[in-house]
Amino acid sequence: MVMSRAERWVLAPVALLLLDSEGRVIDANDEFLRLLDVPDVEAVAGRRLADLLTVGGRIYWETHLGPRLHIEGRVDEVAVELRTPGGREPVLLTAIGREVRGEHLVEVAMLGARERSRFEQELVGARRAAEEAERRVRLLHGIAADLASVAGLDGVAWVLLRAAVTMLGAGDAALWTPQEGGPLRRWGGAAGVTAPTIDELAEAGVRADGTVVVPLRTAGALLGVLALEPRRAAGSEPVDLRTAAAAGQLAALALARATTHEQSVSVASELQGAMLSDGIVADPQVEIAACYRPGVHDLQVGGDWYDTFRVAPDVVALSVGDVVGRGLKAATAMGQLRTAVRAASDTGLPPEEVVERLDRFVDRTGTGFMASLVYGELDLREGVLRYTCAGHLPPLLVRADGSAGYLWEARSTPLGVRGTTPRVADTVTLAPGDLLLLFTDGVVERRDRPLALALDELAEIVTNALGAGLSGAELLEAVVARAPEDDDACLLAVRWLGPEASGVPATETSRVASADEEGAG
Amino acid sequence: MVLAHGFGCDQSMWRFVAPVFAADHRVVLFDHSGCGASHPASWDPARHAELAGYVADLVEIVEDVADEPVILVGHSVSAVIALLAAAERPDLVDRLVLVGPSPRYIDDEGYRGGFSAEEIDELLETMDANYLGWTQAMAPVIVGNPDRPALGDELAEVFRRNDPAIARQFARVTFLGDNRADLARVRTPSLVVQSREDVIAPPSVGRYVHEHLPGSELVVIDSVGHCPNLSHPALLVGAMRDWLGAP
Repeated sequence: MVMSRAERWVLAPVALLLLDSEGRVIDANDEFLRLLDVPDVEAVAGRRLADLLTVGGRIYWETHLGPRLHIEGRVDEVAVELRTPGGREPVLLTAIGREVRGEHLVEVAMLGARERSRFEQELVGARRAAEEAERRVRLLHGIAADLASVAGLDGVAWVLLRAAVTMLGAGDAALWTPQEGGPLRRWGGAAGVTAPTIDELAEAGVRADGTVVVPLRTAGALLGVLALEPRRAAGSEPVDLRTAAAAGQLAALALARATTHEQSVSVASELQGAMLSDGIVADPQVEIAACYRPGVHDLQVGGDWYDTFRVAPDVVALSVGDVVGRGLKAATAMGQLRTAVRAASDTGLPPEEVVERLDRFVDRTGTGFMASLVYGELDLREGVLRYTCAGHLPPLLVRADGSAGYLWEARSTPLGVRGTTPRVADTVTLAPGDLLLLFTDGVVERRDRPLALALDELAEIVTNALGAGLSGAELLEAVVARAPEDDDACLLAVRWLGPEASGVPATETSRVASADEEGAG
Repeated sequence: MVLAHGFGCDQSMWRFVAPVFAADHRVVLFDHSGCGASHPASWDPARHAELAGYVADLVEIVEDVADEPVILVGHSVSAVIALLAAAERPDLVDRLVLVGPSPRYIDDEGYRGGFSAEEIDELLETMDANYLGWTQAMAPVIVGNPDRPALGDELAEVFRRNDPAIARQFARVTFLGDNRADLARVRTPSLVVQSREDVIAPPSVGRYVHEHLPGSELVVIDSVGHCPNLSHPALLVGAMRDWLGAP
């Protein structure tokens, strides 16, 4: 018996459908009726195929497949599900649009895909898990890198709160850190992100409103609590507890590091403050003011120093210098070098020989290599200054008459570096009321401006301040206020009042914003 | 005239509509971030986690391409995006054409959006099952030259690299949103074009939009399906022409 072609369509071992231009069923074969579990064609005739699919399939058909049928004329191997009395029936669908005698028809073939569907779900699940793991690792890498780029508690808190929103998918976030003898300190977050309860300190969890709360611990010690409030907009993904907990471990390590770091910073800055505290000579013939302001880019102290001391009853030595590096090591090197300057100059040698002795000290000890220094000796009776600059910016001399200039003579290489030119010194004679300003590069150096311009500006600020009758300390304040904030700024202002300064206001000693006041952050 | 495509599509959705208006309008088409041929870097998981990100994109586009208020045509989710853009920046939008808009897909008390919350969850599930399918763009026609399929295939490969996660998030943003309250904020004259039958944005939803959108006009066209711009372009163009008036 040979079936007709039409009979073969009806009995084909694949579900077949013919749709009109609106997607309604015109005809269906037996296999389709079997898949859908309906008795006859009448049960589906006139219904849109989209209506026979599950809701996901329906939307998929309307937003993707229908348009593609219109544009490309066919869709292939699409996984959708039929709604049947027995539940969902996964099928693979191929459809082709044809113009038949001026009418747009769609022919559809479907293959039951129950087994394939199960297998695919496993694949999709595995793939999603792999992607999720990869995404989490990448994300944690990013957070770790950001956390590594900051040092203090402030920085860690800021990075964490920002990462919570940009990387962990939170709409808002708050951090609490313990403080000695007080309640938890709160960082960031709107009032809606409420403080953690005692229970929440024990283990990471999710609040009823979706907020993920992660205690930050290392070695059992609680270093903080992070709360991540989910985005409230419709369609937003919830905050993932596992990712948040993993980020919390990184955060705890960073907080531990920040705490240790701040302790070391406060030691270094106290040490530095103590070392600088004895650096001002009191004498009625000279007004001396000094200032040390730590940079804000980093909590570590720098290796800048100032110093004044007597080398003879009427001779005051001045030094301002800068040791390479930052932190405790730089601070101790600075202390040694500053003391070495005092020791080297004690014998009344000319300044260039003092620096040569310092070179030998650097050679011998390795301390202070590449440090820069301006060293001078001021004769209080005559107002004569002998000075030398080893790799250091020149002192500024502002005359009592308002003229100003930098002392560009007597320049040589930084300490420990043997240049082709020998250590040299130069002499300049001051008039009563003339002011010398010794300073480190942090006062003027910035990336956005040539040094020459910055030096001109400094001279102008100082000249104006003097013209306005400011004292040495006020003058330094004015200069520091204009100095770039990111680097340490160290200044020493020395004003010679003349051979007989009786009647002139008493010597002023002052340290504006000393390191031990600000350095601890 | 700026035409914004809907979820699951790209600007080729307007291939039968745009050319008609190009005769007497400056027509601007674009692909949303994460769709079609948009630059992959333009999609930002945070910015596009909310409809507001797409709204901001649209506002930027209009500001960029037009020096006077535009006719903004939005299909499907882009009808809502266009609504929000007009509410925010009425100065940029002269008139709105909303094709198959739905301010909320999920049923609510006293409101029939057409879907239950469970059904939308199921939709997101289906997206995962058709992992690759949902991200396939209609590349062969983007080049507008079906006679040179090789070129299309080449582009298709480029477009199909779209991240499935993007389609999934766009679906969440689209189908989980509720923008009913925003309708009253819009003052721009608008046309609501509703298909006679549309399982995604049913006629009752089109009527709801019209009733809550001040100064709107509702036209039901004799089309079936959610994409009359492809299936019944002549009907859509006619409705738009009638409302916009003679050029």
